[in-house]
Amino acid sequence: MELTQTATIRTGAARRRKLVEDIFWYVVLCLVAVVTAFPFIWVLATSLKGPNDAIYSVPPQLLPREPTLANYLRVWNQLPIANFFLNSIMVASVTVILNLLFTSLAAYPFAKMKFRGRDAIFYLLLATFIVPPQLTFIPSFVLAVNVFHYYDSILALIFPSLATVFNIFLLRQAFKTVPDDLIDAGRIDGAGEFRIWWSILMPIVRPSLATAAIITFVNQWNDFFWPSLMLHTRTNMTLQVGLVALQGMFASDTRGVAAGVVMTVVPIIIFFIVLQRQFVRGLTGAVKG
Amino acid sequence: MSKKFSLTPYLFLTPALLVIAVFVLYPIAAVVYYSFTDYSISTPPIWVGTRNFQQLAQDPIFWQALSHSFIYLLVTPTLIVLCIILAIVVNRKLPGINAFRAMYYIPVISGSIAVGIAWRLMLDTNGLLNSLLISLGILKEPTQWLAEPAYTLPIAMLLTTWLGLGYYMMIFLAGLQNIPEELYDAALIDGCNHFQKHWHVSLPGLRPQITFVAIISSLAAIEVFNEIFILTGGLGGVLNSGVTIVFYLWRQAFRLQHAGYASAVAIVLLVITLVFSIVNIRRLERGEETE
Repeated sequence: MELTQTATIRTGAARRRKLVEDIFWYVVLCLVAVVTAFPFIWVLATSLKGPNDAIYSVPPQLLPREPTLANYLRVWNQLPIANFFLNSIMVASVTVILNLLFTSLAAYPFAKMKFRGRDAIFYLLLATFIVPPQLTFIPSFVLAVNVFHYYDSILALIFPSLATVFNIFLLRQAFKTVPDDLIDAGRIDGAGEFRIWWSILMPIVRPSLATAAIITFVNQWNDFFWPSLMLHTRTNMTLQVGLVALQGMFASDTRGVAAGVVMTVVPIIIFFIVLQRQFVRGLTGAVKG
Repeated sequence: MSKKFSLTPYLFLTPALLVIAVFVLYPIAAVVYYSFTDYSISTPPIWVGTRNFQQLAQDPIFWQALSHSFIYLLVTPTLIVLCIILAIVVNRKLPGINAFRAMYYIPVISGSIAVGIAWRLMLDTNGLLNSLLISLGILKEPTQWLAEPAYTLPIAMLLTTWLGLGYYMMIFLAGLQNIPEELYDAALIDGCNHFQKHWHVSLPGLRPQITFVAIISSLAAIEVFNEIFILTGGLGGVLNSGVTIVFYLWRQAFRLQHAGYASAVAIVLLVITLVFSIVNIRRLERGEETE
């Protein structure tokens, strides 16, 4: 009797301690969430503020008292936001499709074929991996202006990204895990190397392709340095470049800039929430633990 | 099937290698050449030998930029410590923990431009931070956060750290989830408290992730541009207080049309990243030996 009593007291105490502990951790989690989410919430609130809502006041006014969509309309009317979107979507999706095609083609022989110069070529590629991309921008600029004549066009953003060493490496690792027997079986059935690559290997490595696709998409979507060098006509700009143009144009219009930030960020956040699982696996999966 | 020379592998490689040759290999060679020339992109390069490098050695802004880039490396240890702690916190099995993880991740995918602009609005003289600090009685009058040379670099570093929290947290979280639960049980039986448990089990278990984050985040720190560009409005801050090596490269090449000189800056950047990578690869190899 006594024993069970102490036991229930103990579990009661343990439960209470667990509860206190959990509350403590939720408080910590919420504090961090405030730190990471606050700028977004503030920008959203600011973008909805009416002309009589203060941007600067002591004490600060966080929420709009006269919420309005006028700021969005103003920004939308004065800048080709729709073009920014279309350009960003075009650049990111065309790059993803062609890049995955090219890099998975290249990854196959690196993973599964023996040929002359394989290791030499592969290590040369790996070595370029540590070269800062900014280093290549001066010659790439010259190429864009003098050779390819795609200066001020989104082609200038697509072409240099059609193959990335990172994706070749990632897909080579994936192809390596495919058993040789499967490939040999395909050969016995008379399939050519191209058929083997497309019909046997590609379906098996789909998770890695998704990873590569997400990394490439987000990188292209958020890229700024190179696009800012290339794109000058408003209608040719991507979202990131357009956002900086907007910031310059609406320098004294905090509400307008905030509306622009919200419009840029919301689609990629929705994209993230929908594909959350793949995202996290994609962006962290590259590290072998 | 003959084991003779086959063209097939080369055909598979051609598209990707062509792209990389044109947009990576050729530019590396070209930038080395340009660094020995006087070049403004609009006129053909003129060979000047090592003049650019001699000029660089005596260029006080270049040295300032270099020191700023090295100071910027402080974000790496900061990120490692903060993100390991954060990963340990979000590794707890609590209801709704996934929502918190996702929330911490949003800055990562939002991109440095949009986030940087949001920060800039808040740090403006007429921005939220000043009104907050004044109403709390911490400040008497508004501070020009973005015009004060002493603050430029710390604010940019804070932004970089903030942008990276979620990403590196996820990497450490993945690492933590690979550590067998029994190791923690054993540590508790050995009389470890919660702090010691993480010190003796989590940290050694996260070794590969720590190395990875150290490499990736220090390269990113050396190559920082977007944060500086946005926070200083493309000007590099008052008295060049925010000029880093990549920002200086950009300004010389694309603002001042000194492409030759900027190429010399690029070569210095290349040497730094090479040294970095060699040091890191050595450390990796040593780590593998002791394991």
